[in-house]
Amino acid sequence: MVIALVFLFGGVGALLYCCHLSAHIQKQFSSRRWSIPSRVFSDITLLYPGQTLNLPLFHEKLRNLGYQEVSHVPLHKGELRTAGPIMELFLHDLALPSRNREGFPVMIRFLQNRIESIVRPDTGKPLPIIELEPEEIMLFFGPERERRQLISISQAPQHLICAVLAAEDSRFYQHHGIDLRGILRAFYINLRHATLRQGGSTITQQLAKSYFLTPERTLSRKLKELLMSLTMEVMYEKNEILEIYLNEIYLGHKASISINGVGEASYFYFGKSVNELLLSEAATIAGLIKGPNYYSPYVDRERCLNRRNVVLRAMHKNEWISDEELQANLATPVNTVELTKYGKKAPYFIDYLSEQLAALYPPQALASLGYSIYTTIDTQVQMAAERALARGLARLEKSNPSLNRSEPGKRLEGAVIVMQPKTGYILAMVGGRDYSESQFNRITQARRQSGSAFKPFVFLSGLDKFTPASLVSNEPKSYEFNGNKWQPQNYEPVEKVRLRLRTALAKSVNRATVDLAMQVGLEHIVSIAHRFGLSTPLKPYPSLALGAFEVIPLELARAYCALAADGVLPYPLSLKEVVNENGGIVERRHMTIESVVSPAKAFIITSMLRSTVTEGTARALKNMGITFPVAGKTGTTNSFRDAWFIGYTPDILALVWVGFDNGDSIRAPGSTAALPIWADLMSAIPEHISGNWFQMPPGVVKRIVCSESGQLAIPNACPEPIEEFFLVDVVPAQRCPLHRPAGLFKRIIEEVKDSYKNR
Amino acid sequence: MLCSIGLGLAVVSCAIRTSAPPPVPGQTPSGLVDEAARSPDQPTPRALASLGLTEQGRLLLESGRLDDAISILERALSLNPTNGRNYYYLSEAWLSKGNPLQADEFNRLAAIYLKEDSDWMVRVIDQRERIRERKR
Repeated sequence: MVIALVFLFGGVGALLYCCHLSAHIQKQFSSRRWSIPSRVFSDITLLYPGQTLNLPLFHEKLRNLGYQEVSHVPLHKGELRTAGPIMELFLHDLALPSRNREGFPVMIRFLQNRIESIVRPDTGKPLPIIELEPEEIMLFFGPERERRQLISISQAPQHLICAVLAAEDSRFYQHHGIDLRGILRAFYINLRHATLRQGGSTITQQLAKSYFLTPERTLSRKLKELLMSLTMEVMYEKNEILEIYLNEIYLGHKASISINGVGEASYFYFGKSVNELLLSEAATIAGLIKGPNYYSPYVDRERCLNRRNVVLRAMHKNEWISDEELQANLATPVNTVELTKYGKKAPYFIDYLSEQLAALYPPQALASLGYSIYTTIDTQVQMAAERALARGLARLEKSNPSLNRSEPGKRLEGAVIVMQPKTGYILAMVGGRDYSESQFNRITQARRQSGSAFKPFVFLSGLDKFTPASLVSNEPKSYEFNGNKWQPQNYEPVEKVRLRLRTALAKSVNRATVDLAMQVGLEHIVSIAHRFGLSTPLKPYPSLALGAFEVIPLELARAYCALAADGVLPYPLSLKEVVNENGGIVERRHMTIESVVSPAKAFIITSMLRSTVTEGTARALKNMGITFPVAGKTGTTNSFRDAWFIGYTPDILALVWVGFDNGDSIRAPGSTAALPIWADLMSAIPEHISGNWFQMPPGVVKRIVCSESGQLAIPNACPEPIEEFFLVDVVPAQRCPLHRPAGLFKRIIEEVKDSYKNR
Repeated sequence: MLCSIGLGLAVVSCAIRTSAPPPVPGQTPSGLVDEAARSPDQPTPRALASLGLTEQGRLLLESGRLDDAISILERALSLNPTNGRNYYYLSEAWLSKGNPLQADEFNRLAAIYLKEDSDWMVRVIDQRERIRERKR
């Protein structure tokens, strides 16, 4: 009687406790189960026939995307085979905010580093363009530092489910949370071997343990685990429990980041989504559950293979795979993807992006809500920019050892930004030479004197009155402001007393620039500079013309974008879309533009900046392997504190700055410090170089003028007629006053002479 | 004699017209004339790829997926910034989104790059009118 009462009360107590647990379980399962870090992605990569690529960078990109070199014809997503000029690739699925695309095989034929054709081998159809998926560049981790990609049970292939069950709980669908047979079997095996060889925990128990309980090993905790397992089995379907388990389990780690769930593990170990896992790969992952680090293929490949084969044999024993499947898969090696580095791939860009995201979402939301954040960054351009800067700074230090500094925070620094001038997309941002050394972003946070890189805005301000052929004075002059006298000096001796505007800008002649600025009006130049988005204080002093005031490099790059984009100032875009876990777009940004100057004026300044590259301060560019047309401007500040080069084509613009944070002299001008970095960068990204040049917009005309007077050339009189661009409203109206047309007789003689010469 | 002088003058006058001194090499506006003239009639592979995206953008625009259309047209633009149709469709998309200011900016760019194409210019001008109407 007493015993019966004890059982009765015990049973009622257990039942009540299970009710209490059920409320706890329901609360946990109905609320958010896991913190999923938000992921930041690069832009997609386009490939098309005729495109020239930097093949080493392209291969690196493919490796970063998880493409795996195989010796056979690629049959599965993420496989890649290269044989001579042909690359066969089985594309991954492409999941973009607005559309999804299934992966498919492609065959890319190269002619040296140019794509000759892209064909889909399964249909034989040529493809005009293909897209590679965005590359993950950063994760916003919470304090848990877990990586996890959620999957639904329907996404998991049957062989993965069987592998997990075979490895952990083959009677999962037969028991009710506790498997007495399994416990007895484990007890017997452990007793026989006198060691702890096998655990008797079911998948439900494991889930209860890892999801709700602390890891201590006490009887009360074990009892709680059993009751919780029974409760869960009553409350939820088997498939629901299995789905939570597949997403929950710990499957390894890298550095301080843990890999959780089979969805993440598939990418981590095999570079593919869970539904693409092969049988042997599924068995490998299932084998890891027992000891993710002990059996890790990155720790001991042989041990991992043996464990996988144990799982395969267990699957076979349960008759879930055939003899043939067993034999074929036992012989398969464990082929994992290369262990890639987690971390910020473009750290300064990510910091810049984070500032914008912080205005939209609190940090805990980014660390837990699993957003996918799509950006404008092009990882190939980013890699090229980082490397070009590192090489350029090392080269400078080598050529001038006085630039070397032993203290890490005081080393020679540099910064690069690459933008698409028309769209304002930021393709790359390098805010310093080493992020681990200094997180100060010299593109977005630095304020530096721009030196001669400011001059285009002086010349642009004068285009209502002056033309590229107008003459300005190069004579030494003193200017007074605030009671101070100031006499600008030229960087190099320039003999001519009067210079055409084109020459003055191309050769960056200081005296002529200040002469022009004083005629144009300093206030007007300040207002133009502000119109181009320069937000730092600019004072109407004569030294303004030579870039004496500080600018933010990002703003300067943006201002130059307007020159390259028909006078349209783009908003510098880094964030494109934010997508929530369910695929819903929660934030979307498009290019936005604002006209700040006429296309005609922008074209004329661009044509003058083209002269800088062909015959001015940046003429060394052609010796640095740059064969396509470029417009650009060097900049050097007093005592060589800053070196700049900003160069552009219709497709791309890059700004390079070199200097010391503390303002020490770098003992080199922009043309030798910044220009080679720009050239190195551009040579590494041929896919962004079309070789096209700007079309002449409406409002621009060409005329032949005398190089000495800047007025319309008189045939056979002016010794040096030149062709020049003019705004249609500011065309020289007068004929050259310096040269007189030859008399009729002299002209006849000259023509006869010429006709003989030309025979 | 007079005839020969007259003939000589006629020859010279013709010669003067045809043999006006060329601009000094290297003193031209930096080869811009050649480079501008290099704009190919034959579309480059890059331009062809851009056109493909433009077409996708147009279809998205027609189906009312304005943001998706803008995204893909921006991508087309990044491949070929001289493709005037991209600007036209971008203007159309922004107009449909109720932003006549952005539509106006893209319309002006469309006018620059489609100026040689009379059929397209008709559409660009019509678009300009609609933008003006919307602004009012």
